[in-house]
Amino acid sequence: MTKNAFIQQRRASWRRFEALSSRARAAGTRKFSSQEISLYSRLLREVSRDLAIVRSHGWDPRLEQYLNELAATGYNNFYRSPSGTWRQILRFVTTDYPRKVRAYGVAILLGCALFFVPFIAAWSAVYAEPQRVERILGAEQTEQIDEMYGPESPLGSPTDISAIPDYVDERSGMFGFYIFNNIGIAFRTFALGLTFAVGTVYTLLSNGIQIGAIVGHVHASGNGERLFSFIVTHGSFELTAIGIAGGAGLILGNALLHPGQRTRWEALKVQGLDAIQIAGGAGLMLLAAAFLEAYWSPAPIAPIYKYIVGVVAWVMVIAYLVFAGRWSRGATP
Amino acid sequence: MSAAVPSAAGEQARRDYLIDPHLHIETPENVLLAHQLAGPMFRVAAYLVDFVLRTTVFVVIAMVLLCSSIVPDSSAMGVLLLISFLLSWFYYTLFETFWNGRTPGKSVMGLRVIKEKGYPITFLAAFGRNLLRTVDSLGLYLVGFVAVLLSPRFQRLGDYLAGTIVVHERLTGMPREPIILEKIEPLPREDILGQVPAPRTLALIDEYLGRRHTLSIPHGHRLALGLAMALSDQLRYAGDPEVVRTYPMAFLARVHVTFHGRQQETMGAPATEIGDMTAPREGSHRR
Repeated sequence: MTKNAFIQQRRASWRRFEALSSRARAAGTRKFSSQEISLYSRLLREVSRDLAIVRSHGWDPRLEQYLNELAATGYNNFYRSPSGTWRQILRFVTTDYPRKVRAYGVAILLGCALFFVPFIAAWSAVYAEPQRVERILGAEQTEQIDEMYGPESPLGSPTDISAIPDYVDERSGMFGFYIFNNIGIAFRTFALGLTFAVGTVYTLLSNGIQIGAIVGHVHASGNGERLFSFIVTHGSFELTAIGIAGGAGLILGNALLHPGQRTRWEALKVQGLDAIQIAGGAGLMLLAAAFLEAYWSPAPIAPIYKYIVGVVAWVMVIAYLVFAGRWSRGATP
Repeated sequence: MSAAVPSAAGEQARRDYLIDPHLHIETPENVLLAHQLAGPMFRVAAYLVDFVLRTTVFVVIAMVLLCSSIVPDSSAMGVLLLISFLLSWFYYTLFETFWNGRTPGKSVMGLRVIKEKGYPITFLAAFGRNLLRTVDSLGLYLVGFVAVLLSPRFQRLGDYLAGTIVVHERLTGMPREPIILEKIEPLPREDILGQVPAPRTLALIDEYLGRRHTLSIPHGHRLALGLAMALSDQLRYAGDPEVVRTYPMAFLARVHVTFHGRQQETMGAPATEIGDMTAPREGSHRR
């Protein structure tokens, strides 16, 4: 058969496949009827065969390129994985994420330690010697903190009804800020794991020291209760999530530093996908924390109730990370 | 379904040429597909388009929110921060996930992200490659740029980790209609004393004739001259060599008409001494 006769004969099928393929490209194959699916799969195989024929005969490279593109796009559309469903997200939250955290327990605990140890150290150092705070945070930021948590604090309850809309407005503004700031920091801390974990370790330590210094300073100035009742609830999600995101960054760094039997890049690739999921889960935790921090934590409720809720939240977060998904069936992490 | 593997042929091609801009993938159906990898400059251009778009979206939303007072000031700031967060961390992820590997910028530049085994991109891969954009973008994307240049598949760090590649999506049309060779006379049988040209040579002539409309006539003749002279030698063509030298394009067309139909039927057989020269013409070059 000559090239031209071949084109004449096959052209109709190619045109049909082109039409089907562009529909699949736009809307996926899910809406196809069963006949269309089998037509698609048949035409894909035909086009693949035509491509092989053209290639083995060494016919026109443009024809080969055309068929290659047709087959490649068709293949790509056909094997598109079903897009994420709510059930998958639910499964991730209830099972896969805590399992992955436990599977990389050492890295995660190390990440948490790199955050919490300097946090507590800075807290106690500043509490013991309050002047130290200016050396860590600088005078300007110290002043801002005094404003935030001092007796004039906006965290107190609005005294009269008319102030409530302003209060809600301000909290919504803070919600946006918490998302932007905290999740951004967590993701960055994770990604910096690629710098052989140097960037991750640095970010964790410096965040731990700064936040610890703030807490120590407020504590030392006698505004402790206002601060603790504020942070205790959302801190359960927020502080652990930052530690976990850092731990995920350490996984990347560790893959590069200790690749084991693989090449460094291979090791990075294998562990990287798990690390990405852990970082994503930490992002979800921070999302929850942002809601709490914006709307629950500053609410005008007696501190004792906030402490109770806060303790419950801590227990829940830890129990979730330790136990969730332990008994559910399915693939091991 | 078994996994697609990068084929041995692709690996071979990569060894043969220092820079191979194609990724060859063998599908489970045993089809060898070639993807043309997108180089850094196309990707920079796509990035700039996306950057302008993101900035524009942000500025427009900011103006609407801050100039009109639909929502109170603090909430407006909150919304803006939220949007800025989404634009910087999820713009790419969401577009690539729900638009099958494209963003507006990539779409303009004709690029698409796919998994390195030829499958469509998944949410996890899109999320991962764009989380690591932070590192790739260090120093005005210097890190990513160097990674792309060092990588055999033009992958930046995020691509590497998520197992993705960026390819050109060439939507070429079907090649144009077969050329009309009806008026061309085959070479007279008694003038040919040599061997049938190799199929590759005939395919080359076929392609040349298919594209000759893109060349000016003098230029076309000049291009054809070398091949025509060599062929005339190989065929030990007994006709007027001056004609071949003056109109090499016409000579190639005559060779094509003479042999093209024939060689397809004896595909795989070694080049033989010329037998019957009249048969191939009919049926082969009908429109």
